[in-house]
Parts: sequence; structure tokens; C-alpha cells
Amino acid sequence: MEVVPWDQYWTLLRTDATSGNLPDIFNVSQDRFFFYAENGAILNLQPYWDEFGVDTSLWGSGMIDPYRWGEARDLYAAPVNWDTIVMFYNKDMFDAAGLDYPTAEWTWDDFAAAAAALTDPANDVYGAAVYSEYQSGYTNFIASTGIPPVVGAGRTECTLDEPGSVEALEFLAGLYNDGYMPSVSLIGGASASDSFNFWLAGRVAMVTNGSWNLPTAIEQATFNWDVVQLPRNPETGRTRSIVHSVGYVASSNSDAADLAANLILYLVSDEGSAFFANAGGVAPANPAQQQAWVDSFGETSVNIQAFVDALEDSQGVTVFDEIWDTANTELVINIFDLNVPVVDAVAQACGFIDAQLAAQ
Amino acid sequence: MFFAPSAVKLDLFFGDCMTGFLNLFGKTPLTRRRAFWGLALVTPNVLGLLFFFGIPVFIAFRTSLQDWNGIRPPVEIGLGNFDRLLHDPSFWNSVGVTLKLMLVVIPVGMLLSLIVALMLNRKLRGRSFFRVVYFLPVVTSTVAATMAWTWMFQPRYGLIANLLEPVGLQDLNWITRPDLVLFPIAAVVIWQRLGFDMILFLAGLQAIPRQLYDAARIDGANGIRLFRFVTLPLLSPTTFLVLILQVISAIQIFDQVYIMTARTTRGGMNDSATTLSLFLYETAFTDSDLGYSAAVALAMFAITLLLTLMQITFQRRWVYYESGSA
Repeated sequence: MEVVPWDQYWTLLRTDATSGNLPDIFNVSQDRFFFYAENGAILNLQPYWDEFGVDTSLWGSGMIDPYRWGEARDLYAAPVNWDTIVMFYNKDMFDAAGLDYPTAEWTWDDFAAAAAALTDPANDVYGAAVYSEYQSGYTNFIASTGIPPVVGAGRTECTLDEPGSVEALEFLAGLYNDGYMPSVSLIGGASASDSFNFWLAGRVAMVTNGSWNLPTAIEQATFNWDVVQLPRNPETGRTRSIVHSVGYVASSNSDAADLAANLILYLVSDEGSAFFANAGGVAPANPAQQQAWVDSFGETSVNIQAFVDALEDSQGVTVFDEIWDTANTELVINIFDLNVPVVDAVAQACGFIDAQLAAQ
Repeated sequence: MFFAPSAVKLDLFFGDCMTGFLNLFGKTPLTRRRAFWGLALVTPNVLGLLFFFGIPVFIAFRTSLQDWNGIRPPVEIGLGNFDRLLHDPSFWNSVGVTLKLMLVVIPVGMLLSLIVALMLNRKLRGRSFFRVVYFLPVVTSTVAATMAWTWMFQPRYGLIANLLEPVGLQDLNWITRPDLVLFPIAAVVIWQRLGFDMILFLAGLQAIPRQLYDAARIDGANGIRLFRFVTLPLLSPTTFLVLILQVISAIQIFDQVYIMTARTTRGGMNDSATTLSLFLYETAFTDSDLGYSAAVALAMFAITLLLTLMQITFQRRWVYYESGSA
């Protein structure tokens, strides 16, 4: 067995596919499912769900809809886990500034006021870093205005230039321009882990991040901290999180398709998923195991339930692949590093994204 | 970077193999026996070359004529990929980026390595120590070195930012600005390559016979003139070798760009740092466009061949071989 880092896994999977050596069972994330399904590399699991009478609705539509394929909208994958986005905050910094801790009822305005109060230019300390690339960043703010971020549900158009998207990006750009958020270059990167590490280093008070970093925060943070749901959009009153899921799929070229499918069904069953839930880490997709996952962190003052609550009004990943990923980082760098005005940055990004969508 | 010397050896190697093959039908039993054992001993090497170079190169040629995403069966499209290549602004952008890097990396790199070689060719206290120090980057992992350089180029906190603080340039976003990103990349490439070229220059300098300097001195030359009329011409075969190696490795610049821009946006903003090699990688592993990617690889091969042939043609004008050694 070999442990492969997240980024390398996808390159490795592509090389496996190229050489015709896809494993019998492999993981795909919702955003990459499209490529493999479109090329007929994935076995249809629907006959197995039907044969064993599995109630697939238990996962909720946000988790499984991105894994449906074909005319019949058959379910090709079994969701194995999910992650949602919440805000991690440094309690010590709030105490030092004499501020109340954030609550799940906070609006953007409360958040902006706290970011301003927590910024300390003399010591190079910032109030917030919440714009990072795709899932952990600005897209959550767009989603809370009610707009599907980056690409619409029908996968036909770029949504970054719609009023809600521009409103969210202008709000974040305002915090950046006022000096309450550091630039991408100061953080050292546009990814969610870069912002998270900046927070771990005690350089920023509030950061948006996913449940996959919960174990790291518990192990490595040298200050008091907690998590809370993202601030609410003042007009819609909604707090929304991008939910992202990884699923098991079987290769359509497998010599042992029945065995592979049966193993997947076992792995996502109550019994199979209990094994992963008790080990902590990423939250299991099976609702029966969610409490086991919360409990797996043991005695802690951290509000782990916030991740589960964030599922409630969540936004599924709007399908995209690596090309759109680049558009995401470029958008973030344009606004939060090169100081390009929001309207120009979204026009550039939408030009690229619309061209990609048209080509498909 | 060791490709060219081994290519020369490869040439000799195949020549020897051919001779051996002919000798299999030689006149005397001794000739035939020697030829047989000689060939038997090189066979593993030949097979290795065939397997690890010959077959992949053949597959690349084959794939360049196909539309293939790696999963679906390939479709034959003739020269379609090459036609697309000629009209693809992204391809020409990567050619431009590579040329810009070459124009900085090659002259600056060669000049610096020559200066260091000249300094370390003198009688100097701790000379061996400094030679090792200058060579160390060559044997350092490119990934680790590039990450260290990326930190050095971080605005405000990095070493470079600290050096530039007195002139108020501590907040330059070196890696994300399209107009600046090639400088940090060129810096790490030059730094890592310097020791290797320095060793070649040192060897070249030490091969220059002392009596030529003595004779020139008797004729009244000194300092600059010794360098201009003795060192430079006699060093020119080495300079030529270094130039060819520099060009070949500059065309292949990949790791430094990949690592340095990995945490912001790979290949730089608006592909401002996407070199030919990175473009090749992205067409294959991001876009899953393997036929097109093979065509890019062949275009790179053609560009390398063209530049090398040009250099060999023009070498007569400036490379001086002492009689007998040419």
C-alpha cells in the first residue's frame, strides 16, 4: 500500500487510465467524476443498488446528484465522505481585542467589523483570510447570496458576473483593500491550506476552511481556537457552505465487476463506514455514522457540530475540472494580489470559463 | 543536462557495435570469437536503450498522429495536431516564454560561471572548499532548492524583499506578477547550473598550456590582453560545449516553474511562465490531450535540433581548435 497526496492522486489516476490500468475500485471526487464518466471508464452501480434494495436517498441529493450519469440519471458512485466549510477563529486574539466570539447568527457586517478590530498592522497580524481558491474561499460568500458559484447548475454559463457574485467579491475585496486581509503573496499561496497554515502560525484571526483540517488544528494549534458557521448574508440571512464529497467507483473494465460493486456496497454500509468514522479524519457520508465521527475527536471544546450543521443549507460543487480550477486561482490572484478591480477580474474569468463551456 | 556528452558516447558506441557486427564474419577465428563476446557483452545495454528510448520515441511519433484522451480508443487524424499547433496562441506563448528565459539564463549563466572558474583557477586560500561550495547546488534537489528560492522571493518577509527594503521595493509580488515572474525562475536556474558549467570551464582553463602564457608575456601581453588573446580563444571549445548544453537544458526548464508557481497558479498568471515543457505537461496531464501533447514534444525536439545545428554551423567562426585536437 502506498499513500499518495491529494494532488498527485489525480495525476496518477490519469496515468493509470491512460495505460488501461485503472484499479477495480477507485475514489473520484464530485468535480472529477464527469471526466471519467464521460469517457465510459466507470461501472454503472444502479443495477446493484436495485438488486440489494439500497435506499440511496439517505445520503441527500447534494451528496449524490453530482454522481448521476446518463439519460436514466443512474447513480454511478457511492459517496464515502463529505466536507463542509466553517470559520476557524483564534480565541486568544478575540480576547486580546476584547471582542465577543463569533456566533452562527453573525452577519457579514459583524464579520467585517471584527476583521477590522483584529487587524494589527504594527505586528503584521490580519483580521481574516477567507478568499482562497474554490471550495474553502470566496465561493461560500457567493453561495450565501443564493447564486451557484462560478458555474450555473446547467453547466451552461459562468455566474461570476451575476450581481450576487459581484456583491460577494466586492465585499471581500473591500476587506482586502482596507488592509484587513493579507494578499495571496503574503500568505504564500492561493490554496486553502496556505491560508490555513497562515492561521496556524498565528498571523490571522479568522480563516475559512474545511473539516479535513480539523485533526491538524487539534494537533498543531498553539493557541485557543474554535469553529463557527460562516457569517450570514445580510439580505438573504443565509449561512451557506460548499459541500464536497469523494465517492467510490468501480472501473468499467474490471474483470470482477460484481465483486468490485459488492465491495463498494459493503464499504458504504453502516458496518463498513463505521470503521472509517471511528478513525476520525474526514466525515462519513452515511448519516448513521455522523455522530460516531463527531465522537471520534473525544473530549474537546471545539464545536465540531458546526460542520454537520453546515450541511443543512449547503451548496454542492458545481461541476468543474482542472481548467476551471486555474480560472479560480487566477481570479483570486487578480483581485487579492494584483489589485485588479472585481468587474475586470470576473470579466476575464468568465471569458475563459464560457469559452471552455462552449467547447464541451 | 548530461544528455549531450552521452549522445557523443552513444555515437561511438553504435559505431563500435557495427564494427563488432561486421567482425562476426571476419577472417580469423580469433576475430570472430572476439566479435561474438564483445557483442554478447553490449547486448543488455542495447536492449535497454531500445526499450527505454527507442520504443517510447516511436510511440511518441505514433501518438502525435492521433486524437487520444487516454481512455477512449485513439482516432487517426494525420497531421491535424501539427496544424493545430501552428495556430495555437498558447503554444507560441510557451515558445516565447522559453526564449525569454534562454536570453537571460544562457548569457548570464555562462558569464557568471566563467568568472567563478577564473577566480577558482587562481592560487587561492581554501580553493577546494569554494569549488565544492559552488558545485553544491548542482547536486541539491531541484524541488527543495526551488522551494527555498520561492520563500526568498516572498514579498515583505523574504530575503530579497529585505535586501530591496532600502529602495522601497519590499512589496513586489515576484511570483504572481506576469512581468516579474521570469526573474525568480531565471535566478534559481542560473544558481543551480552555475557549478556544473564552472567545472567544465575549470577543466578547459587547466588544459591551456602554460608556455603559451609565458610566450605571450615575452611578447609584452598582460592582464586583459592575455585573457583576450590566449585564454578566450583556447577556451572556445569548452565555451562551445557549455553553450550547447545550456541551450538544451534551457529548452527543458520545467521543475523550477512547476514548483515556484505551484502555490499560486501553475505556469504563472495568464501563462506568463508556462515554458514549452510545462505546456507539454499540461496538454498531457491537465487537458488529457495526449496526441497533441506528443506533437508538442516533437516540436520541442525539432527546435532543439535546429538550435544545435545552427550552433554547429556557426562554430567555425569562433571556436578555435589547436591543430590535431579538432
